[in-house]
Amino acid sequence: MEDAGEMKAKARAANKRGVMGWLNPIHYNLERWAYVFQRVTGVVILLYVLGHIGDTSFFVGGPLGTGPSQASWAFMSSIVENVVGHLILVLVATVVVFHGMNGIRLILSEYGLIFEKPSRIEYPYRAKGLRAIQRHMIWAAIILAIVAALWSGSILFG
Amino acid sequence: MRETRLMQLQYATALLALVLVGLHLLMQGVLVPYGVAVSFQQLLLTYRNWVDGSLLEILLIVVLAHGFNGARTILVEWKQGKRWTSLANWGCLALALISIAYGTRTVILAVFGSAS
Repeated sequence: MEDAGEMKAKARAANKRGVMGWLNPIHYNLERWAYVFQRVTGVVILLYVLGHIGDTSFFVGGPLGTGPSQASWAFMSSIVENVVGHLILVLVATVVVFHGMNGIRLILSEYGLIFEKPSRIEYPYRAKGLRAIQRHMIWAAIILAIVAALWSGSILFG
Repeated sequence: MRETRLMQLQYATALLALVLVGLHLLMQGVLVPYGVAVSFQQLLLTYRNWVDGSLLEILLIVVLAHGFNGARTILVEWKQGKRWTSLANWGCLALALISIAYGTRTVILAVFGSAS
């Protein structure tokens, strides 16, 4: 019989890929890609939001500021208002739209609203629980994200 | 808080964030031209309009609550264990509170501080 330490080591080995497990794209279907991108875009957005909170604080003079400061804001604008800064904004608009639209799909499926009834598993073993509407919603999220990229690009670079 | 409650909070903040982020993006380039929206004078007006200022503050809280709860979910999925889960829960809560406090400080100073 295995002791607790051995069982723990086995469990750790089974999960050894950790977060890399969902970054390995081999044999992924569309839903799995959507799962990965939901997490990757979530992390990207959170990092952007933290940076955005930092840069907007320069409106009031930065971490040591005491009130709205035109000089401090002009300094921050000179750093972020350029081609690289605008490209980052286009990327953020794109991932925000994908994350939001795919998020709606996830909420609807979590509450069982866009799921097929479970049925007996038969060859060729396609995931029957996933209705066509789920795939349509993923494609809609991708298309809307591309539209957001083009639209925000035209605003920032047009 | 139980995991089910935390996921319900995640979905509620997601729906709220959809509306608020949508509004925020519309204000930054669609309803208000981008160059005007990020100008010092326009930002001062935005922060000091109580509706816009309040929406920015709510957006800050909602997005950070959603973001850090999402990060917590990823961390807990990534690795299991009592200590790790506790660290992820409390760490994300602490980072969310610190970020909210720092963002709120900007809003408060923008509204009540004297402009220079």
